[in-house]
Amino acid sequence: MKIGKSGSASLNPGVKIARIMKLTIAIASFAALQISAQGSSKEPVALKLTIHNNSNAPDIKVNGKVTNSNGEPVPGVSIHVKGSTAGTTTTNDGVYSLSVPENAVLVFSSIGYETVEIPVNKRSVIDITLQIVARSMEQVVVVGYGTQRKVDVTGSISSIKGAELSKQSSQNAVSSLQGKVAGVQITNNGGPGASPQVRIRGVGSLTATDPLYIVDGTIVSDLSFLNPNDIESVDILKDASSLSIYGVRAANGVILVTTKKGHKGKPQLSYNSYVGAQIVTNRLLMASAIKYAFLINEKLGMPTVPEYPTTDWYKQILRPAAITHNHQLAVTGGTNKLTYNASLGYFNQQGLVDKNDYGKITGRVQADYKVNKDFKIGAQAIYYNYNSTDIPGDIFYQAYVAPPIMAVRKANGHYGDPFDYNVGNFANPQASLDWYNQRSKGNSITASVYGEYKFANYFTFRSNFGTTNGINESRRYVSKDSLTTVQHTSVSSLNRDSSHARKWVWDNTLTYERKIFKHRLKALVGYSSSEDKFTSDGWSVNNVANTGESSLKISNGDPSTVKHSFGGNRATFISYFARLNYAYDDRYLLTATMRRDGSSKFPSDNRFDNFPSLGVGWNITKEKFMEHQKIFDNLKLKASWGKLGNASIPTNISVARVDSGGIYNYVFAGTGGVVWHGANNTVFPPKSLVWEVVKETDLGFEMGLLKNKLFIEADYYDRQTQNGIFSLPILGTVGTSNSSVLGNFATYDNKGFEFSATWRSNIRTLKYNIGVNLSANKNKVVSILGGNVDLYGGGLPVGGYLTTIARVGQPIGSFYGYKVTGVFQTDAQASASAQPNAKAGYFIYKDQNADGVIDSKDKVILGNPNPKITYGFNSGFEFKKFDCQLDIQGVAGNDIYNANKGVRFGNENYTDDFYKNRWHGAGTSNTYPSADLSGANLDPNSWFVEKGGFIRVRNAQVGYTISSHILDRWKIQKLRVYLNAQNPFTYFKYKGFTPEIGGAPMSTGIDLNVYPLSATYNFGVNVIF
Amino acid sequence: MKYSWSTILHHKIAASITAICLLLIAGCSKSFLDVAPIGQQTSATFFANAADATAAVTSCYGHLNEWRVAGFAHLAVTSITSDDAEKGSVPGDAGFLNDFDNFTFTATQFEIDDYWTGQYAGVNLCNQCIDNIPNISMDASLQARLIAEAKFIRAYHYFNLVRAFGGVPKVDHVPVTADELNPVRASGADIYALIESDLNAAIAVLPASYPSTEIGRATKGAALGTLAKVKMYEKKWAEALALTDQVVAMPYALMNDYYKMFRVAYENNSESLFETQANTIANDCGTYCQYSEVQWVRPVGWGFNVPTTDLVSAYEPGDLRKAATIIFSGETTQDGDVIPANSPNPRYNKKIYVPSSTPNACGYAYGRDQNRRILRLGEIYLIRAEAANELNDTIKAKASLNMIRNRAGLPSINAVSQANLRTKIWNERHVELAMEEDRFFDLVRQGRAGQVLRAQGKQFVDGKNEVFPIPDRQIVLSGNKLTQNPNY
Repeated sequence: MKIGKSGSASLNPGVKIARIMKLTIAIASFAALQISAQGSSKEPVALKLTIHNNSNAPDIKVNGKVTNSNGEPVPGVSIHVKGSTAGTTTTNDGVYSLSVPENAVLVFSSIGYETVEIPVNKRSVIDITLQIVARSMEQVVVVGYGTQRKVDVTGSISSIKGAELSKQSSQNAVSSLQGKVAGVQITNNGGPGASPQVRIRGVGSLTATDPLYIVDGTIVSDLSFLNPNDIESVDILKDASSLSIYGVRAANGVILVTTKKGHKGKPQLSYNSYVGAQIVTNRLLMASAIKYAFLINEKLGMPTVPEYPTTDWYKQILRPAAITHNHQLAVTGGTNKLTYNASLGYFNQQGLVDKNDYGKITGRVQADYKVNKDFKIGAQAIYYNYNSTDIPGDIFYQAYVAPPIMAVRKANGHYGDPFDYNVGNFANPQASLDWYNQRSKGNSITASVYGEYKFANYFTFRSNFGTTNGINESRRYVSKDSLTTVQHTSVSSLNRDSSHARKWVWDNTLTYERKIFKHRLKALVGYSSSEDKFTSDGWSVNNVANTGESSLKISNGDPSTVKHSFGGNRATFISYFARLNYAYDDRYLLTATMRRDGSSKFPSDNRFDNFPSLGVGWNITKEKFMEHQKIFDNLKLKASWGKLGNASIPTNISVARVDSGGIYNYVFAGTGGVVWHGANNTVFPPKSLVWEVVKETDLGFEMGLLKNKLFIEADYYDRQTQNGIFSLPILGTVGTSNSSVLGNFATYDNKGFEFSATWRSNIRTLKYNIGVNLSANKNKVVSILGGNVDLYGGGLPVGGYLTTIARVGQPIGSFYGYKVTGVFQTDAQASASAQPNAKAGYFIYKDQNADGVIDSKDKVILGNPNPKITYGFNSGFEFKKFDCQLDIQGVAGNDIYNANKGVRFGNENYTDDFYKNRWHGAGTSNTYPSADLSGANLDPNSWFVEKGGFIRVRNAQVGYTISSHILDRWKIQKLRVYLNAQNPFTYFKYKGFTPEIGGAPMSTGIDLNVYPLSATYNFGVNVIF
Repeated sequence: MKYSWSTILHHKIAASITAICLLLIAGCSKSFLDVAPIGQQTSATFFANAADATAAVTSCYGHLNEWRVAGFAHLAVTSITSDDAEKGSVPGDAGFLNDFDNFTFTATQFEIDDYWTGQYAGVNLCNQCIDNIPNISMDASLQARLIAEAKFIRAYHYFNLVRAFGGVPKVDHVPVTADELNPVRASGADIYALIESDLNAAIAVLPASYPSTEIGRATKGAALGTLAKVKMYEKKWAEALALTDQVVAMPYALMNDYYKMFRVAYENNSESLFETQANTIANDCGTYCQYSEVQWVRPVGWGFNVPTTDLVSAYEPGDLRKAATIIFSGETTQDGDVIPANSPNPRYNKKIYVPSSTPNACGYAYGRDQNRRILRLGEIYLIRAEAANELNDTIKAKASLNMIRNRAGLPSINAVSQANLRTKIWNERHVELAMEEDRFFDLVRQGRAGQVLRAQGKQFVDGKNEVFPIPDRQIVLSGNKLTQNPNY
């Protein structure tokens, strides 16, 4: 007998076909049942499909009252027959009534209470008491490659339910996290469709600070493709012991997103929608025409005559209110074998600037199928499509600098022209907007499939393949036109650019899970490989006649002018990992992890590294001596240590590259000659780059008190980034094209403390929860280039002034420059000073070393761009049919370098604040300089450094749920309407547009942002059919 | 033997797991992690053949059009400082350029840093060629010529650096060691020695001319002429004279029409020894130079670096060059372009004028096609005159000087003393080379910068402003290894 060949390896074709047919029939019959369910009577059809086979039992009417452990009635408790979605909810008095089969099992559930299942057993009155949920015991958190009971976790993981996120009408789930999680700082960017910047536990890496986003096992770049309503939960891994399972990609933290899965039952349809208006708040007042004229003439020493009316350029380009609307339809359902969840969303947002529009469509299909009791497969696909009408990238800058004396349009209808005012080279922002013709669009599909197989009682093998594939396209057309003496061209041009991003990751894990007496053991081994690839293509051509969108093709231009460019990057990873979770009697906990990673991003002789971690925990409340105490429902101490890596560095940095084209090309023989291709080595690779690693120790506790009404969690961490890789300016004599080079420059610490407390209780029928979170972080440089030298960065676009420093013992990227002690009041005072070429109205710099010369030795640290404290306050209330929510959030202890004040090439406009406070004659100011803001006044100094703290009402919301009996006739189970205000109020002293700056590392907190802050007001509905 | 459905399934899955595990071990092969950059050549494969060598040398030429080398920094340091030109444009626009007009700049003035980094970026491009081309297996004569071209351009950059800053770090190969990556300043004499050695190497190899498609490459004449100018700065008069004799003997000729010499239609004319080639080509609008755009009147240009009244009065009556160098607002050019009478400035630099009739493939009428005339025969005659006069050969000096004067419609100069003739030659240089970014360095060389510039109301300080400060940014980045020039 040849078992090897025929027996074990293959089935005969007939069996195969039969099996496929079985599966097909199963799917088809499911579909048929769903169709028939829709066509049949009002009878609860789903009951026919349940395994309890209740349909043969006669219905009886059951009523009763639900109370809590204090004897108070609990309103809004959902009651349904197990295996069905048919059910009801309790009234404000906690009573309910429904008809069910006499042998049904009723499921009582309510947020904040333990879910209870009660068999009816032919009873007609069932009163029950619900226990407030012991959350810390039951809660499950998502960890890398699996889940874990919260009680077993030895690291630091923050979990947010999707329901909480979708309460905020936000187009990006990340921005809804702001202020909700200790240790997570989120900086929003105001543009439509933009993704916020996230920092977990301070500045992790200087090269890239974005965390790793993983959606159901698929690595993605951000969450803009995902509808927040599709999210079941977000788990943020913060400490090294939780993170090290992601090894080299984990140094900046990991955000794990789990999307909603299908639930067994008849199809349940839900619809969520909101309409909102975005309105600019905290507008920065610019100088008016006459004030501008005064300032410029003061600078030039000329008299001023009020001549021109004021153009408020911000008002000119901004919409009074930008409208946003969002619609999402979702359906979920399934049988014992197959569950599914699907949704379709449409989102449209007007930008704050006139003509700027962004729209996106998101679609998602997800299904899980149980082949048999041991074998499960599933698949998911998320589609994302966006369309945008763009505005010039520098339009806010143009509005910021444009002279207010310039008219939008002249009397003859032509655009106002700077030439007419003798003020220099300025774009007319309205002409820029009108002339600019760029559209971009893109789509992506993020898909994953998995198979999970349980065998030999304790083993589970899971293989998950996830991929994301996205295309972005943009086209820009510049028409032949002459708008002003600054804005004109005699040749039309068309640019078409596209980029293609492709990522895939294939994870294979084998899990062994067993409980033997008091030993709970879970072991995981895994292998993962992945690839990130990005390519871009650019085409341009001149002389295209614009006769409509379809005419804007490269092929319609002058073929002799076609130009093509191509670029991209690609990186690959291979990883092996193992994890052991062990708990003895649920009292003593151990988590040990090891990951070995290799990446193409590092030199071939130094490509692999190991990332171990260890965590221990002690559930004190499980000890005998704690048995009789009443204070703690749960008390856990935990400690962990781990090592992480950072691969979020540019690809191929270890390979020297060649720059070509552009300025390197040359035309010999002058006019009539042809272009010669130029190329050369202009990028010097770091000679010996070593892995940047993070080593982190975490100590913390979790406690549940007063019957778990109060939950407190606190962590202390000490996180050291060793051999941090970042880019720094280098000496001009090296001659590189970008004047900077990457290297393992510094080792630095982030030490911090995170605290969060939640109180959840009720006062009679008022249910409420109040949460606070606070985190303090201190960043300090430990060593630079293995020693103690200073490094400089933060080069400004105007003049390239270096504004930041990395110095041992100080926060990395500290602002650095002269300390201003006053302003010279007279020319005589200035010329008698140590400052060469100073005049009255110039800053007086402190001679720190008192050597009689003001030079770079007198520069000192002026501020810290990293917040010392970030905090949040979250609250929710439910009273009868009303619910409301208030979230407050803020940061404190950071400084901002207001670089906008120094954007002065010529006659740019000034702020109104500058006009009011400027020096303009002896005795007028000792803090602000004269209008002649040039020369040494632009050297980095303390006048540019301002306090950056702010406090903000992040979200305020009131909702009302309409009574179900009113809705019955429309077959609506639940209808909730709400009003919501996001960022309605932000308080800060900073003199720029917004204190939320963010920015690239070593340039953090350098404000060149001129995008105004805005508030959004929404009206929304949630409907469940 | 019978198998239950589930047993078979179990076996199949177990087999699959085994297969996957085997695949994983195979999959971790090293090649999966070896990833080449996309769309960008690596240095490892560059400098492999003649095409790479040619492209690399082309990049050295391309960089001569770069903003820092041909734009604001260049004009600020070499021209606005002089008595020929002032900031221009409207008051307050790029007001920092007044610091160059008034000598009120400090070491943090960013145009000075731009000047420094722009020249050294060019030095790196040349060093890459000079270090790597010798290792390529290719046609030996092309190989030698390309290296010589790179050396010529490196000499150009160092000549700019040594005149602007005095002794600067001598980076004569691609830096590797820590000390080479953070070099100290060499002496001015060391830098002049490097320039001479580079130019001599170029002279030995470069051809006198190129095929018509490659005009613009450095020639033997360009290298000889540049070396003559360098020798003049070093006051090595005999060598300067001999070099100019060699150039004059070559088939160069003065242009009869001084105005046309600077027009796009007469690029690379018979008088031209070296000029940068600037051209807007329809499918490569990146090969332009903003040199002219910065200077010509709005709306075509920006109107900076405009002639002063001192320059207007420097011309003798009847000098044809005056009208070819300075255009007054309200005038119409020979090519028919009108300078509006209400232009922000009374005068503009006419030498960089690009007629509006010039084909304009990229749409922006910014005069981006103007070649920068770096060295021409006219100056060679004046170097020759000066060298001959310093060597007491006043006859030869006058012969050369009068060639230039006569072309300008001026009478010959007759018997004068050596000292008197020296002044005449200097004055002739002033007007002949006006607005050609030579004047400030020339005044310093002549030792009378303070005297001439202070007379114009500039705050030039003797013993300080002959050179510019080493950019503070560079001193900081060097960890104070770079030393500052006196009195800054």
